[in-house]
Order: sequence, then structure tokens, then C-alpha cells
Amino acid sequence: MDAGLIIESTFRGITIGVIYSMIALGFNIVYRVNKSINFAHPVIVLMAAYVALVVSYNHSPLVAYIAAIASGIVASIAVERLVARPLLGRPPIALIGATLGVYYLVKGVTITIGGGETASLPLPYKLYRLGPINLGFNDIVALVGSLTALLVIILLHKKTRLGSAMRAVAEDVEGAAAYGIPVRRLMVLSWALAGLVGALGGIFLAVKNQVSVELEFYAIRALAASLLAGLDSMGGVIVGGIILGVAEELGGLFLDDYLPGIGYDLAFFILLLVLFVKPYGLFGTERIERV
Amino acid sequence: MPAGVFKETYRADMAHLRYPIHYAGLLIGSVLALTAPLYLKGYYLDQAILFMIFLIAAVGLNITLGLAGLVSLAHAALMGAGAYTVALLALKAGVNAILAIPLAGLAAAGLGFILSLPSFKLKGYYLAMASLAAQFILEYIYSLIAPEQYISIPFETKEIAGIFFGEGIPLYYLALAITIVLLLAAANIARGSLGRAMKAVRDNDVAAEIVGINVTMTKALAFTIGGFYAGVAGGLYALYSAGVGWEGFTLLVSIELLGMVLIGGPGRVVWGSMLGVLVLKTGWTNLESSLNPLLTGMGLDIIASTAKYIVLGTLIAVFIILEPEGLIAVLRRIKEYLRLWPYSY
Repeated sequence: MDAGLIIESTFRGITIGVIYSMIALGFNIVYRVNKSINFAHPVIVLMAAYVALVVSYNHSPLVAYIAAIASGIVASIAVERLVARPLLGRPPIALIGATLGVYYLVKGVTITIGGGETASLPLPYKLYRLGPINLGFNDIVALVGSLTALLVIILLHKKTRLGSAMRAVAEDVEGAAAYGIPVRRLMVLSWALAGLVGALGGIFLAVKNQVSVELEFYAIRALAASLLAGLDSMGGVIVGGIILGVAEELGGLFLDDYLPGIGYDLAFFILLLVLFVKPYGLFGTERIERV
Repeated sequence: MPAGVFKETYRADMAHLRYPIHYAGLLIGSVLALTAPLYLKGYYLDQAILFMIFLIAAVGLNITLGLAGLVSLAHAALMGAGAYTVALLALKAGVNAILAIPLAGLAAAGLGFILSLPSFKLKGYYLAMASLAAQFILEYIYSLIAPEQYISIPFETKEIAGIFFGEGIPLYYLALAITIVLLLAAANIARGSLGRAMKAVRDNDVAAEIVGINVTMTKALAFTIGGFYAGVAGGLYALYSAGVGWEGFTLLVSIELLGMVLIGGPGRVVWGSMLGVLVLKTGWTNLESSLNPLLTGMGLDIIASTAKYIVLGTLIAVFIILEPEGLIAVLRRIKEYLRLWPYSY
């Protein structure tokens, strides 16, 4: 096979992989405080993309992007307040079911408002060539933007006082509360942060590809990146996302002749493989249950 | 004079028919079910058949999810396994589609067993993700089986002794017979030792293991039995529909089934599922078909196509948060209120 094609596919995989990492980070942030998967997260990605599109009809692109990020944060906080908080202490299936409900609710509202259209976000278009790699301006924005956002959030989490308080809440809720850490507020903050990365993920996905109903499937596939990294790891999502992105692109390149359209379903094979072989992921901490 | 109905033996406590309302319900229900084709015609008879198909599937999910507490988001894919078994056997091997329905159940049960393998090691959300992945992978496999979207089942394989079972009254009675048998079986599973073992695993699997319940086998059985029900439902669906395509068994259908169980009453295998299917399938289909022309007429056809997501999502979330025992608990409260009226405690 042509080496240039492989290099280009790998690069494309890395670009999309970084976006996957960012969406996966949203799953992990919520998992750390609530110990459950937030199935409403994929739809926040979709919603942010459509908010950006709808607002950009009448306003400048900057306003549109700010509105999209704000909508993601607000929606995520609303899910925490109205769904996750009343369900604290209930079995994990309750939060799974309820967030799935929210997923369909927000999806319905989003498609109603956005009209289910496929469209591009306003962005200057320019194509660069780098050896075998075709690079659009939108790819650069997506890659640089999501990498920056990822690093900022991970550093915030690792290096600041706020970050160590969040880690304390993730480690042990009662213990953190005993030390006077405002647990409730930090939980809300965690969900807000998840909403922020979800919205950014939606915007960068939309910038890289297009605004369409398909975006939610990218967000669902990001679950594989999240699991591959380990649900409670933060920095690991970069590795998980890039592995997922490259696997999808290369899988699509090599296997498409035998299994048409396998590329996008590879994520679910990875997901199952991780669950069977190493359910706590590459960087996650193994949970040992005490009776 | 005792105030209420009292049971004096364990046998009376475990009986299917315990209260006068049960006898009345049985009598009215069986008369209505047996005479339904007299007053339900065409479209409405199809609705009754679809009700039974989804009831069977929902009962299966209720065993997996409600009794054993194992989250399965791949139940529609299991239905698909049943439907494709019937369709492929009828098309490729010329097997009679009606006789293939038990095979469809077995095929889906086998698949259900495979789906249960992650549950030995994993719990809760991990299991939800495993089944979510399985749902997408199976959807992909189904799309490979029939790239041109539909497998049509030859009409002559839907016949037994010259009677065509693909539609109308014969299909209604066939579905009714299968439904009654499977519902009775489900009710007995729920009240028997297996059902109690499942409930114990759901409530606390470590404690269940300590009292001597084989947790692994109970989980496997919960998935296998749930799969069998889904497979039979899928087989009936294949018999009912003109062609089998993957878009009948998408994630949305899985979530709908999940909604039926959670809204109706998780753990109340027969009655809970029935209420859920009544609301989400029959009720919603009729509401939709009467509202949609109105919405389209007002130029709101985009709402007509998304209303389903909104209603389904809202109902699931609201019921989980406010009424985790489902509609059946609401009905019970109403019944208690009426029983004690006007002197409630």
C-alpha cells in the first residue's frame, strides 16, 4: 500500500483522536465524581454544534462559539442539578437510565431547533500541503484548539488548588467533606467542566467535519477512548483518543475491502476488547471491592 | 370480620390469583383477548399483534433488567437475531417460518448467553457499555447480511395446512398463544426459586453468593432467558412484517424497550411490562398517528418527527427520578386510596 496514504490516514486519525480525547475527558470527569457514566454527554456535543450553527445565522461567529460553549455548560449543570443529584446513592443503573432519557430528550429538542440539517460552520477556508498530508485550515484549528484545551484542563486538574480539591472529591467524598472541601460545589464544577469539554468537542468536530446529526455517534465512540484510558484517568485520555482515532482511520483503510464500513464500528470492538481484557483501562486504577 | 384479604398458607401467598380483582381481570382479559378479532379490524388488529410482540420482548428485558438488575442496551439487537434467524432459515433453507420461531428463540438465547459473559466480571455501567457496544456491532453485522436492506420472507413458508399466518386473524391467535405461554412461564420464573435468586443477585450479589446462590449461573440465565424472549418476539416480528431490515432493531428500539420496562415497573415481570408496552407502544403509536397530521398541518413537521425522542426521554428520566417502581406502583397507590376511601389513615 502507498506509504503516503498510510501517513495521511495516521495523521487524520491523530487529528480526530485528539477531539475524541477531549470528549472522552468529559466522560471521565463525571465518572470521577459520580462513579457512573454520563450517557447525556454525547448529546451535549451534538447540541453545542447545533447551537453554534443556529446562532451563527444571525450573529458573528465569535458570538456563536461563545453561545455554544455556554449552552454546553448550562445543559451539563442542569443535568447535574435535576438528574444526577436526586439520584445520588441510588444504584448505577438509575443514573444510566436517567441520563439515557436526557440524551433522547435533548436530542429531540436539538433536532427540532436545528432542523436536523447538515451545514458547515463559518470559518475561512484554506488548504495547505505538507508532504503527503493535505491540511485544511479547519483541521489546524481543530487540532491546535483541542490540544490546547485538553492540556489546560489537565494542568488545572493536576497543578492548582482547585484541581487538588477536585481530586480529593473524586477520591473520597466523605473524607473531602470532613476536610471542609465544598463537595457539592465541586461536583457542579466538575459537571460544568464536562459540559465545557463536550461543547468544545462539538465545536471542533463541527469545524473539522460538518454540523450534522452524525456528530453524536462520534461522541458515543469517544466512550471507547475513555474506557481504553481507564474511566478515572485524566491524562490517559490523550493516549486513548489517539489510539482510537488512528485505529479507526487505519482500520478503515486496510479492512474496508473485506468489511465495508468497518472503520467507525471498530470503536465498539475496541470497547468490548478492553472490557474483556482490562476493564479498568490502561491508566485507570483497579477498584477492589470490599465486603 | 377481617378488614381485607388475608392469606393463611404459603400456597395462597404464592398463588397467581390472590385477590378478587385478579379473577375478574382474568375473566375479562381472556374474553377480550379471545374475541378481539371480532371488533378489531385491519390496522387495529395489527396494533394488537405488535402489542403482543413487544410485550414478549419487554417481558424478556424485564427478566434481565428488572429481576436480575443487569443493564442490557442490546435487547433490540437480540430481537434482530431472532428475526434474522427466521428470515434466513425461511429464505435460504425453505424452513417453515412458524416452525423456525423456537429456533429464533434459541439463537437469540445463545447470543444472550454470550452477552452475559462480561457480566461475570463487570457490573452496572461497565455492563451497560458492553451491551451498548454489542448493540452497535450487531447492527453492523445485520447491515452486512443484507446490504440491500431487506430480506423478504417467501409467502409460502408462512403457511401451515393452507392457513396463511403472515397477517390478520391467524397471526393474532398464533401470537396470542405464544404470548400466553411465555407470560405464564415468566410469571412462574419470577415467583420461583430462580426469580428469587435473581432478585437476590440484583439487590446484593455478594450477600447472594454467601447464602449459596450461584451468582454466575443466575446472571447467565437471566441474560439467556431474556434473549430467548427477545428472539421469539423477533421471530414473530419477522412473520408479521413483509421484510426484515436492520433499522427495525436499532439502539432507539433498545431504549424504547428499556423505557417500557422502567416506566411500566421493573421487577414486575408481567403486569409491569404490559403497562409499559401499553403506554409506550400502543398508546404512543395512536397518539402519534392522530397528532401528526395536525402538527404537519401547522407546518411543524419537524416536531412530528422529533416528538418521539422528547416524550420517550422525558418519560424515562422522570419515572426513574420520581417513581422508580414504575406505573404499577402508581396504580397500586390509586387502588389503596380507593380501597380506604373516604377514611384513609
